[in-house]
Amino acid sequence: MTAASAADTPGSAVPAAGRRSLLILRRLFARPASAVGTSIVVLFLLTAAFGPMLVPYGANQQIVADARQAPGPNHWFGTDNLGRDVFSRVVSGARDILALAGLGTALAVVSGTSLGLLSGYAGGWFDEVLMRVFDSLLAMPALLLSLLLLGTLGPSRKSVLLVIVVVYTPIVARVVRSVVLSVKSKGFVEAARVQGAGLPRILFWEILPSTLPALAVEAALRFSYAIFLVASLGFLGVGVQPPNPDWGLMVKEARFFVSQVPWAMYFPAGAIAVVVVGVNLASDGLKRALQSDELEAP
Amino acid sequence: MPKESLRPEQRGLPFVLTIVMLAGLLLSACGGGAVPASESTLRIGYDPIVQTDPALISSDAEVSLANAVYDYLVDVDASNQIAPRLATSWQINQDGLTYTFQLTENASFHDGSALTAEDVVYTFNRLRAPDSGFATVDLYANVVSVEATGEYEVTFSLQTTNPFFLFDLSDNHALIVKAGTEDASDFNGSGPFRVVNFSPEDRIELAANPDYFIEGQPGVANLIYIVFQDRAAAVDALRTGQVDIVMQLPTPLYQSLEAEAGIDRFDVATNAFPVVRLRADEPPGDDPRVMQAMRLAIDRPAILELVQQGMGAMGRDTPVGPLYPDLYTEEIPLPERDLEAARQLLADAGYDEGLALTLRLPEAQNFPDLAVVLKEQLSEAGFDIEVSVEPEGVYYGENGWLEATFGITGWGSRPYPQFYLDVMMVCGAMWNEAHFCDDEFDRWAQIAGTTTDQDEQVQAYYEIQRILIERGPILIPFFFPQLGAAREHVDGFEMKAFPGRSDLRTVTLSQ
Repeated sequence: MTAASAADTPGSAVPAAGRRSLLILRRLFARPASAVGTSIVVLFLLTAAFGPMLVPYGANQQIVADARQAPGPNHWFGTDNLGRDVFSRVVSGARDILALAGLGTALAVVSGTSLGLLSGYAGGWFDEVLMRVFDSLLAMPALLLSLLLLGTLGPSRKSVLLVIVVVYTPIVARVVRSVVLSVKSKGFVEAARVQGAGLPRILFWEILPSTLPALAVEAALRFSYAIFLVASLGFLGVGVQPPNPDWGLMVKEARFFVSQVPWAMYFPAGAIAVVVVGVNLASDGLKRALQSDELEAP
Repeated sequence: MPKESLRPEQRGLPFVLTIVMLAGLLLSACGGGAVPASESTLRIGYDPIVQTDPALISSDAEVSLANAVYDYLVDVDASNQIAPRLATSWQINQDGLTYTFQLTENASFHDGSALTAEDVVYTFNRLRAPDSGFATVDLYANVVSVEATGEYEVTFSLQTTNPFFLFDLSDNHALIVKAGTEDASDFNGSGPFRVVNFSPEDRIELAANPDYFIEGQPGVANLIYIVFQDRAAAVDALRTGQVDIVMQLPTPLYQSLEAEAGIDRFDVATNAFPVVRLRADEPPGDDPRVMQAMRLAIDRPAILELVQQGMGAMGRDTPVGPLYPDLYTEEIPLPERDLEAARQLLADAGYDEGLALTLRLPEAQNFPDLAVVLKEQLSEAGFDIEVSVEPEGVYYGENGWLEATFGITGWGSRPYPQFYLDVMMVCGAMWNEAHFCDDEFDRWAQIAGTTTDQDEQVQAYYEIQRILIERGPILIPFFFPQLGAAREHVDGFEMKAFPGRSDLRTVTLSQ
């Protein structure tokens, strides 16, 4: 099929993957806001990876004699009402929240992408039914839907993971579907079809690459919302159970003692705020970097 | 790129914020108004009131209001002793089965009619009528008859002796209503205050009863209950002088008032406690060594310091607390913390690899903190505790709490300890959540609840405490204090262990 010109083929329109990643990374750090955001994300990821090995105390270790101490050389972020080192808890909590939100987002992206690709490409009744189901899920505020699900599943890490997947799959699927709709009639897809390529090959080999820029931004955005959701559920007491150093749970536990040990609340609350802002700035930067990447593409 | 720049949750946020701000403005306009300035108006910050019929009241605020509008036959004073109220004196027959009360002849209901023995008879017959469905039916099941033996004399006859019968007569619900009253939510009491304006979501205004039977009481001209949905807001109102008294304070709020000028704080001992119990009718709790291992593994001073910030009384794993000095004993030794011995006991019970348990608890008071501290302490002796915090409605709903294997439950303070034995500890008791059945315990509980011989009663309570410490299925690490605060111009206020029963008749306000 001659219509499948080189310009229509995504693979030939972009630089090699490695070079492209470097380019995007350079653009991310070119703007101060996204540089700050990306640095925050990297810092928190490093904290999540190595922090728990470096903290001075166990996350749940209770030191009776040190209970309710203000921040100082022994306890950088002070101690909470139960004598636990707030710094150790915040650092240990980074792994918990980032792993949970990250894994949840990854699963939601995988399932949302698969469903979005299939729905957008197949069209017809399948698309119609799936989109109406997603519409009904999206009609409910994310937190309310999460509470409903957790009320049924019971509070646990697994339940929270499932909640993130259920809440964010429809959103990711819609984004992917909208890209698929604009791409599926293009020449390179038509060419693959005529050459006898199977459905998986068409979806994941031909169409998926076109959705990647939108998907990357969406995934980053979902990640920040997932962090917020995990923290909110912890705060409401329906997510991760005590004594886990979940940031939301820590804020909840410390709020009764805010006049006596304010640091036990402000540090985990601050961590939530900083990481959410960081991810948002980074995802905004990523969006701009990818947009300019598209513009510059021949 | 996706064109939808606003996701549903983003679109919703400004709207929700606007509504919250508008609601806040509206609420502050409605609820934040100044209380009428009068030197003799006492203002109490309390929870919303739902029930007003004395037979149905349950919350502290409801009891407090009822206690201001009605009178008890006999009262319990701040030192937990029986005190006269409508009954000025009483006699108990030698066999301990007949109680005769002389009533004041000066009391009258707010509608002007005199309060006589018939009203007392009617009230108690109403409270014990089997088809009434009232919580007091069981309490007065031992009463054979209540009779007016004079215009101002009432006689109660009992089936079996009950050394705590006077306390039973002072039950929170036992407020005297007018004979013939079917729905007693009309506030026609004989009490020190009359209801002037009842807005249960906002405020309840009362005025002193000028015909109150005690000369010179109440000490203030007006009483106002100001409704607060949360205690922190009530404490803020106390700070700014919008209310005079706030009770039932959580420890952190109480401590936040420490350096506050112009505010007096109250810390009253109670017998309210969290009970950590392991079911004794199924593994692993059917082997008492498991609970003994826990007893050896916990660090009581650390629990009191961390969970209660040092406030309250140390518990000894029995519901008989220091609030009952005549019956409470510290003579029975409580094991010292010994992790090695705990591990050994656990191994002897067949759990040499350790024991995993899920600890269920309601999200109430500081129970989650207690669970977290217990988890850490017990882990040192080989227990692997998973904490499961549940909403109160879920934990207590459909009696699920009675089925839980390992749980924490809250029990309120009572003026005498027999209640706990009868409903929580004896074999087959309605709320025997630990499913504890011990013949020797039941025998002593029976003696404790019926004997009129004081020495025998003390002996029975000693044995009860011994059995629970030796082989009981419960841990009671501490007793809660009752905490409250008042503006310093409030005089004559003595908060009680059950704050709703605090006597507002004697309160006066100074300049």
